[in-house]
Amino acid sequence: MIREIITYPTPPSVEYATDVRVFNEDIFSLIEDMKDTIQANSLDGLAAFQIGNYYNVVVVKEENSSNFLELINPRIISQSGKVTTVEKTAYFPKLSAKITRYETIGLVYQDRFGNQHSLNADGDFSILLQRKIDYTFGSSFLNKLSKEEKKLFTKKLEFGSDIAISESCPTVFKRDYIIKVINIVMITMIILLIGSLFVNDEASAGFWQYQTYLFSTAIVLNVIYFFYAQYEGKRFTSCTSCQIGNIIGTTVILLIKLFVIMSLSYFII
Amino acid sequence: MARLVVLGGGVSGHTAATFAAKWLGSAHEVVVVTPNAKWNWIPSNIWVGVGEMSKEEVTFDLAPVYAKAGINYKQAKAVSINPEGSELVNKPFVTIEYTLAGREGMTENIEYDYLINATGPKLNFGATPGLGDANGLGEFTVSVCTADHAVHANEEFQKSIQKMKKGERQKFLIGTGHGLCTCQGAAFEYIFNIEHELNKAGVRDMADIKWISNESFLGDFGVGGLHMKSMGFAVSSKIFAESLFTERNVDWIIGAHVNKVEKGKVHYELLSGEMGEEEFDFSMLIPPFAGVGLKAYAKDGTDITATVFAPNGFMKVDANYAAGAYENWKASDWPKTYQNPTYGNMFACGIAFAPPHPISKPMSSPNGTPINPTPPRTGMPSGIIGKAVAHSICDRILQGENAPLHEASMAHMGAACVASAGKGIFDGTAAAMTIYPVVPDFDKYPGTGRDTDYTFGEIGLAGHWIKHILHHLFIWKAKLKAGWTLIPE
Repeated sequence: MIREIITYPTPPSVEYATDVRVFNEDIFSLIEDMKDTIQANSLDGLAAFQIGNYYNVVVVKEENSSNFLELINPRIISQSGKVTTVEKTAYFPKLSAKITRYETIGLVYQDRFGNQHSLNADGDFSILLQRKIDYTFGSSFLNKLSKEEKKLFTKKLEFGSDIAISESCPTVFKRDYIIKVINIVMITMIILLIGSLFVNDEASAGFWQYQTYLFSTAIVLNVIYFFYAQYEGKRFTSCTSCQIGNIIGTTVILLIKLFVIMSLSYFII
Repeated sequence: MARLVVLGGGVSGHTAATFAAKWLGSAHEVVVVTPNAKWNWIPSNIWVGVGEMSKEEVTFDLAPVYAKAGINYKQAKAVSINPEGSELVNKPFVTIEYTLAGREGMTENIEYDYLINATGPKLNFGATPGLGDANGLGEFTVSVCTADHAVHANEEFQKSIQKMKKGERQKFLIGTGHGLCTCQGAAFEYIFNIEHELNKAGVRDMADIKWISNESFLGDFGVGGLHMKSMGFAVSSKIFAESLFTERNVDWIIGAHVNKVEKGKVHYELLSGEMGEEEFDFSMLIPPFAGVGLKAYAKDGTDITATVFAPNGFMKVDANYAAGAYENWKASDWPKTYQNPTYGNMFACGIAFAPPHPISKPMSSPNGTPINPTPPRTGMPSGIIGKAVAHSICDRILQGENAPLHEASMAHMGAACVASAGKGIFDGTAAAMTIYPVVPDFDKYPGTGRDTDYTFGEIGLAGHWIKHILHHLFIWKAKLKAGWTLIPE
């Protein structure tokens, strides 16, 4: 029977994962349901936990085969190497995260008759098994994320999609160059303002002329900044510096500085 | 006048004896037989083992405390029990052998009306070749099981630090020295205190630290792990333990039965049947526990040790020892009154009682080697059981033989554990955990067998402060200072 895969934010199970103690029809039936659900959803594997069952049961597709491997009460007892890959899981549909796991693992598990087996796995199969076994211990891959990755993934959960924040926040934006130019213009205005104190009236009138040109240029640049920053911000929704409030604040500060310089220039020059 | 004899003066025996003396008053006699002159707050030994506390801070002389409590203290070890008396004496008695300076080796028979066996464990170093022998700890590894062991461990640890300061890389291997060990918690505390101290000494980058244990997953702790609620999930202690180990850059080997120790190397067998070796420069491996080897004799002198004690040397009590396979295990298998089923005036508490079966999932390698933690009976449960047993006996002495017995089943009991992960007023850390019940009840709590509302854990500086406060609090209590009865077990 195909079962519903529980997805975020519903906790996968109300009663939490525990070892199988009695190997009976209930477990066999659960395993068959897991296989049907894997097939129907074209998945690589499932932990019973993901369909709301609290037993430590994992069913995965064997490597390079359509056969299923049934693992009951699996335990990873050895591990080596580290590898970081982008993983997806059915519990967080449409979302992915960068996770560091062991490259190779050795595990012991029981089959449906309670017999113990062991296997070694590496590559993608190792990662799949680690992800599924984490579920049997009550953990999604959230607990495996680095602090930075967890922060990013939390954002992804809010947006419900990888796409919205598929890139990290850049350290330098193109709009920053506009601010740089505005600052250069304002510094030039300050130099003219100070310079006017040491020149005669005729030269001072010339300075005032330049000052009005520079002021107009700075105003235009501010307007360009305001609209371009919003355009750029839409491409980096995860960045706090891209938010509209931040852009308005920056524009207002620049304009205040500009008007202060211009007011002083008006009275002094 | 009735006489209660308590064998052992550890957490459980000391609790039982002191409460019994208080409740019985001077009208009856309480005798404590323990080979040790000093009481040891064992949980703090890990701090002695890294040089953060002295032996004197974790021990105190028992004689003045027992004198104050009106307890007849005999510094001796129990050798045998005659629960039916002998052909010469009708009353049951226990034979003891003195360890007190000046009287070493002398024996004495002490008659009793009630007996509490709280002898604790024999540290069975001899179970693993090279870990030790019948005389105790071997020369290749260290231990923190006793205060003296911990002092020795620190001496070796300081030598390792000096070597690292001279540029010599060191490998630390900490964990359990046999497939059937308990007390993973003590090893867990020690490995993270080692890591913390190496950081403080500025030599962490010169050390490779590795954990080796018989747990089938990190964070099992002999109780099958515990689940803590986090982000809407009940996450296993495995996930939290793995995070901590990874964060502190501590590698691990689990599902391992250490089967041989040599100078600088351990040999082990994994649950998968694979054999491995691990080298070390410094190693602290907890030994397995066994009963202390008490014998029991019937009135006619027949050896009835197998009747009174389980094969591992622990005393049989009112547990279901015929539970069989894992799928049949029930919470009700666990003892409630700790009364010996054959002799109603004998009780066992603390580590000395024989548990019906492990708490963790029983596992073995394909070679048939059992590799799983044995159940812990230390700390809080040990004290609670000691007090309950003392209560039962006092009631029977004061109210008559039919007085109902008090119950303290580990399947109905919660426990709190604070595991240190580094000592320091501002940079210390400890994992504080509660678990309810200690023994899972799969009928009452389907799933993990535990109530997740009362099972949780957290790691941080506050945990360290609690651990440090508890150190002083429990020593205060054990010294019977003002208000000691108000401090919980």
